[in-house]
Amino acid sequence: MKKECSSVSKLLEKYFDQEVTHAERSLVEGHLPDCPSCRDVLRSMERLRNFIRTPVEEAVEKEDLPWVWQKIERNIQLEEKRPWWEPVREWLDITPVLKKKVLIPVAVAAVVLILIMAPFLFEKTSSYPDPSVVEYVESETYNVMVYELETPQVTVIWLFEGPEQELSTS
Amino acid sequence: MRRKASFFVILILLSSPLFGAVAFAQVQIRVRVMEASNVGSGFDSSLRDLHDQLGSLFSFSSYRILKDETVSLSLNQSVSLPIPSERSLELTLINQLRVAAEVRVKISRAGRDVLTTLVRLAPGRSVSIGGPKHGESTVIVALSRL
Repeated sequence: MKKECSSVSKLLEKYFDQEVTHAERSLVEGHLPDCPSCRDVLRSMERLRNFIRTPVEEAVEKEDLPWVWQKIERNIQLEEKRPWWEPVREWLDITPVLKKKVLIPVAVAAVVLILIMAPFLFEKTSSYPDPSVVEYVESETYNVMVYELETPQVTVIWLFEGPEQELSTS
Repeated sequence: MRRKASFFVILILLSSPLFGAVAFAQVQIRVRVMEASNVGSGFDSSLRDLHDQLGSLFSFSSYRILKDETVSLSLNQSVSLPIPSERSLELTLINQLRVAAEVRVKISRAGRDVLTTLVRLAPGRSVSIGGPKHGESTVIVALSRL
């Protein structure tokens, strides 16, 4: 009897967790009515399980699971959100060695380009169109005529250079 | 491999305005020196684009090209060209606006300034300076920005 009890007691935990085979189950169930010690062990296992299960179930009932899931989902999305340059870098698909070597010249070229273009971009422009092509004209010696037409676009500067046309400079 | 190639294309495209900006620092001016007279008749083919302009203003029967040159002007640098009757034409880029270039034009004779003017040259618009005598003809200088 004692021998049978020791072999059954080894199976009790498996039996309690419903992991025994059909033969083992028959053995345990045949032994239990005759063995108060094994029944006590089984009961104490049941008490222990109830002792643990009750507070866990109460805690789960108190917890708002949909809200927890939303929180988890948000955190997953935040972790998945990649910086803006990641797709660009992936698209360029350059080796890690090239990454630094290429990005630096690109940055330098961009800066130089901005510096060169800045005067043209911020150039002051007149608020009204100035149709005049001739800013000024001067001749100390001869008479000068400026003829400007918008349609057709004609600009002529005429120098009256002739002995009889020369102005007196004295 | 294709992505690497496209990256280098982007790099070249990015830096191309840089070359453009460098090229923009120079202005190309076409200088045509012609001789207008009432001796004979004719109109040189290289002056075809000026035909209407010259014909509507002057009554010369003949226009003959003497010089057709393109000069590159850098900011504040002068380029001199000899023109008939021992005169010289000096062009200086004074300022470069968004569209037009301000060019100072000086015609001198025997070291003496005959005419000084500042003109704004925009692409597609020419300025003609005429009047100096050359024998029985009159010299006309047409400046156009390329």
